[in-house]
Amino acid sequence: MASMPQVRHGERTSLTPQRSAWIPIITFVAPALIIYAGFTLFPVLKTIYDSMHVMKPHNAVEFVGLGNYRALLTHDVVFWKAVTNTAIFSLVGTVCDVAAGLLLALCLFAKVPMARFWKVVWFSPVLISYVVVGIIWVWIYDQDWGIVNTVLRWIGLGSVAHPWLGDPHTALWAVLATQIWKWAGFNMIVFLAALYALPADVLGAAELDHCGWLAKLVFVILPMLRPTAVSLLVLSFVGKMMIFDVVWIMTRGGPLWSTETVSTYVYKRAFDWNTFDLGYPSAIAVLWFIMILVFVAVLTRLLWQHDKLEF
Amino acid sequence: MSVWSHEADEPSKVAVREKVAREMERDHPGLRVKITWYDAAGLVVALKTSLAAGQGPDVFYIETDWSDLITDGYVLPLDGLVDWDNIYHWARKPWIRDGKTWAVPQEVYTDELYYNKDLLAKLGFVLPPNAQFSQEQFLDLVKKARAAGITPIAQGVGDRNFPGAYILTQALLHKLGLSDYAKLFGGQLSFEDPRVSAVFRWVKELVDAGAYPKDFMTLKLAESHFYFYQKPGAVMLPMGSWYTGRAFVPVDEGGQPEDFPLGLMQFPAMDGGACNECKIRAIGSSFAINAASPHPQLAAEFLNRMSRPEIGKLWIDTVHLQTAVKAQGSPATPHYAGYYQELMARQQGAQYFEMDPSDFLEAECLDTFVQVMNSSFPAGLLSVEEALRLMNQGCYRG
Repeated sequence: MASMPQVRHGERTSLTPQRSAWIPIITFVAPALIIYAGFTLFPVLKTIYDSMHVMKPHNAVEFVGLGNYRALLTHDVVFWKAVTNTAIFSLVGTVCDVAAGLLLALCLFAKVPMARFWKVVWFSPVLISYVVVGIIWVWIYDQDWGIVNTVLRWIGLGSVAHPWLGDPHTALWAVLATQIWKWAGFNMIVFLAALYALPADVLGAAELDHCGWLAKLVFVILPMLRPTAVSLLVLSFVGKMMIFDVVWIMTRGGPLWSTETVSTYVYKRAFDWNTFDLGYPSAIAVLWFIMILVFVAVLTRLLWQHDKLEF
Repeated sequence: MSVWSHEADEPSKVAVREKVAREMERDHPGLRVKITWYDAAGLVVALKTSLAAGQGPDVFYIETDWSDLITDGYVLPLDGLVDWDNIYHWARKPWIRDGKTWAVPQEVYTDELYYNKDLLAKLGFVLPPNAQFSQEQFLDLVKKARAAGITPIAQGVGDRNFPGAYILTQALLHKLGLSDYAKLFGGQLSFEDPRVSAVFRWVKELVDAGAYPKDFMTLKLAESHFYFYQKPGAVMLPMGSWYTGRAFVPVDEGGQPEDFPLGLMQFPAMDGGACNECKIRAIGSSFAINAASPHPQLAAEFLNRMSRPEIGKLWIDTVHLQTAVKAQGSPATPHYAGYYQELMARQQGAQYFEMDPSDFLEAECLDTFVQVMNSSFPAGLLSVEEALRLMNQGCYRG
């Protein structure tokens, strides 16, 4: 009699400890997985599906296989213009705003006068929305009363005054400068945190060895900041490969497609062309997604340090 | 019932539509008419995503260049639902496609050339009796204004895809006439047609003479109004007759000064023009019913209520703009009576092309129009030959 309840109990809880552990795991992970599947995985798969179709009036969908990709790669002049602009933006912008962030962080680390004030000033653009940043910089670049041209005229360089955003030769660089101004402060804060986390004994040892400030910077500090720099370079690069808002607000891709980026082009093709075809813009998005993955992989491989520093 | 509308930034239009909504609620106890206000770009994105998902509002604002909503089957035909006796037939016409009517027009406008009467007189020009300068006189006006340090035409394309093309498109319409103008933008007539290149060459002369402000590429629509009637001032402003929506408001809200010497002239006549009396008339704000709406009858009632003559009259009196509704009585704003008389005089004997190019172009042709005719060519960034080549590349299907 005494063994019966034990058998029944054993039957009811026949799950092994390993299997029973899955129940709470699934219970806790499922909501996140469902949200991920609904809001990330499904849109990605749908975009890939759409990229192989043409959407026609009355919800007619025609399968075109790789036709959109073929057209994109062989006939679309504006796409290649957008790719070139985005590549310039990503490469130059990434290097400049990470370098600017590092310089600013070093200034603060070296305790420049009013360091706390400068920290706030340099970081504050990060807190301003892109819409506001875009509008402010359109005013700054204004031909007649913008501060750039006003200062140029004031110092006797009126001949250089220019419609910075209205000229295809300068528009991209003008937008790029805005982007660097906005993000240098973010990189500065990350670098500053990394600088304060550097091992004091290593820095102290360098000083004991009578290492000059430049040698200390080049041979001690920068190598130890490398992992931080790599992370910021990759983050900044990916962000710029998808740049949209500041370009849209400042130039909408003009003049003459000189600031068109892949993202603004996707938006135009999807919503501004008075057509309902989401197939072609989806093909651009998918292709660009693959290119970003490749670029990030290459960049990470190139910049990653295999031999760890030893302290 | 839900309504999605653009023009959140125009209080007088908001007031008219909210009044209709509140009246409808009053007459249908328990009914809630909620109008959600958007700007145009936000509304387009919201509509395209929600309608494609089988959702969206019962009634929504629509413009004539959003025709993909119709062709994709998201709009209910309104022929049997709406009382069309209150709507001018010519205003209904642009919404008739495939034999069905798809939207109720509320606002109509004509493209006009506004000018400052005092500045014109100061420059020594007198408007001819037909209010239309010749090509040569117009070019002379631009040159003299620039020589006097006055901006000839206050125009900018910082936030719109059409204003930079006003002078060019009107000149093309005058030169080509209604039929060939339609062919040009329909892809059946080459931009290298000698008449077209002659017009581009003339506009290039205007551009080179300094017709537009130096910040043309970044000057926004609202700023161009202010530029024209406040600071720094300009001789002319080509604009849809919805100019009044921004200008006829108090000065501290960005309106024109009370005593501003506003005049209207015709766009210049082209030498050998096929139709120098032609004008562009277009439908502005219109409303459609969602094909998936569960309340089509209520939605139609809302549209019918907006189309009553008294609402048309309210529109004219408060929005100061033409309407597609057959409103009765003259405008109740004596201060602007002179303006309305001049506006009507400029429309005497006119022949109309019923849409702006930016309303009916699509895809690559629209993009090229925006980049070339709206911005880069009038900004002086392109030669005539480059502009014609790009336009042909984007639009000509011959």
